[in-house]
Amino acid sequence: MTNSDTILAVKGLGKSFGSLVAVDDVSFTIRRGEILGIAGPNGAGKTTLFNLLSRNPIVADRGHVIFDGQRIDRLSPHRIFRAGLARTFQKETAFFKLTVAENVRLGAVYGAGLRGAAANAAVNAALEMLELTPLKHQEAGALTVYGTKRLMIASAMVASPKLLLMDEPASGLNTIEQAELKTLILRLRDQGTSILLIEHILPLLFGVSERVMVMDFGRKLTEGSPAEIARDPRVIDAYLGGVNSESAHAA
Amino acid sequence: MSLPSTPLRLAAAVVVLLLAILLPFVVTGGAAKNLVVLALLFAVVASNWDLTLGYAGIFNFAHVAFFGIAGYVSAIATIYFGLPVWLDIALAVAVVAVLAGVTAALALRLRGIYVALVTFAFVQLCVALIISQKWLTGGAVGLVGVPDLALFGHRLSPSGPDYLILAELLLIASTVFLRFLVRSDFGLSIVALRDNEAYAVARGISATRQRVLAMVASSLFTAAAGAVYAHYLIVASPDVFSFSLTTLILSMVLLGGGATIYGPIMAAIALTVVTEQLAGFGVVRFMIIAVLIVLTLRFLPGGLWSLGERLTVLRRNSKQGIGA
Repeated sequence: MTNSDTILAVKGLGKSFGSLVAVDDVSFTIRRGEILGIAGPNGAGKTTLFNLLSRNPIVADRGHVIFDGQRIDRLSPHRIFRAGLARTFQKETAFFKLTVAENVRLGAVYGAGLRGAAANAAVNAALEMLELTPLKHQEAGALTVYGTKRLMIASAMVASPKLLLMDEPASGLNTIEQAELKTLILRLRDQGTSILLIEHILPLLFGVSERVMVMDFGRKLTEGSPAEIARDPRVIDAYLGGVNSESAHAA
Repeated sequence: MSLPSTPLRLAAAVVVLLLAILLPFVVTGGAAKNLVVLALLFAVVASNWDLTLGYAGIFNFAHVAFFGIAGYVSAIATIYFGLPVWLDIALAVAVVAVLAGVTAALALRLRGIYVALVTFAFVQLCVALIISQKWLTGGAVGLVGVPDLALFGHRLSPSGPDYLILAELLLIASTVFLRFLVRSDFGLSIVALRDNEAYAVARGISATRQRVLAMVASSLFTAAAGAVYAHYLIVASPDVFSFSLTTLILSMVLLGGGATIYGPIMAAIALTVVTEQLAGFGVVRFMIIAVLIVLTLRFLPGGLWSLGERLTVLRRNSKQGIGA
């Protein structure tokens, strides 16, 4: 069941590799303008879930995905992006031999279908938003880790996605960059983009998410507000390993 | 990618244009002229192969077959159906473009080495068809009697400079077309797919559509060159589908430098001329050329074109060193 307030509804999504069930009957929804965090230990199936939602590079064995009122679980990955569901990758990813501006331009031209002055304006706006304007003529391969991560976001945001899937955007960043990233994620949300966020750095995850879903062994373990999740003994057992969750509260 | 500055590029373009104008007056001997015509036509084929192999990263081994098929389309259209010359070239380009699109749509469902296998199988299929359908293709001998091209009632003479000028014009038009393509958004998209397909499709690029378009685009001037080749030699021959010609053209792409366009053109001219200059060595010349290719690729993995880029970087560094 979906309503106009729901941007993404996932029902019974599953994926197996032989006898290994990587994602097992996962269902959840995201409201428009919401940040939903996803937590879970390594191997819980979080990135596989992103791969299934974007059908890139693998597709689900079962379940369905309704995005903005239409089923997208039969669409090809490039059409999913064009429909308004964008993703970033866990590893710093870019077209390293192209310039920063060219990287973003591809999203504008092929993702949003923009041409000419409209494409240039969208590229400049996205570069400005991600503070990449001074680096626009630089080869993407010369960027720092944080620069590459911002470029990934810029090349997604240039197509004005309705939902952005962010896969561990804070990995490899120092504390100052993490703080900047937190501000950036909230700004993207405030501009109207819903966000599904995988993050291992719990203060950041709990600090920006309205709700958090926890996964373990490919299954959805629980879902709730960050405060509820931090107190949930199942989560502490599965993810925090019994450690006091004060760090989470500190966020 | 470091390219020379705009004034330097402009100067290079002027020099090339002057050479192109002078060439028909300088190269007048029959053998030398023949060599230059072949070098220029092979340069068209090699630089267009660079679009799919170098820029798009598609292991398309059917490329030289497109060159050969165009020759047969031209030959059959003019000899059997009396189609006016030039129209047969347009027909050859159209037929090959459709074939390239179909081949791409089938082969590009696969990846990497499997694309090479399927496209290579396509070449074998072409050879089998041509040899077996002797009534239409002339079989192993080929289809002899392709008429000379004509322009405003003037028959292009193989003994005069006409075909050399035509080959030059074809190469210039093809190069302008290719450079336009690789500098466009389309060019960016095929490079993006080559470098990271998962990320490219995650930014809205359709892998199949762009790759099919790349194959079709690379076949257009290749087909035109194939048709002109058949008119020039007055024969459409199955030899064009041989592995040795594919290897030769592939060597031009790799030796010149993939994803450069200019590199394969340079290498096509150099390889054709060097091969001919070494004719006195008999079969040993192929060994010499093979060693030269191995050494070049060992010390210049980016091909001959990268030598210019390296020199540009060295010059820039030395200037900065002086300035510091």
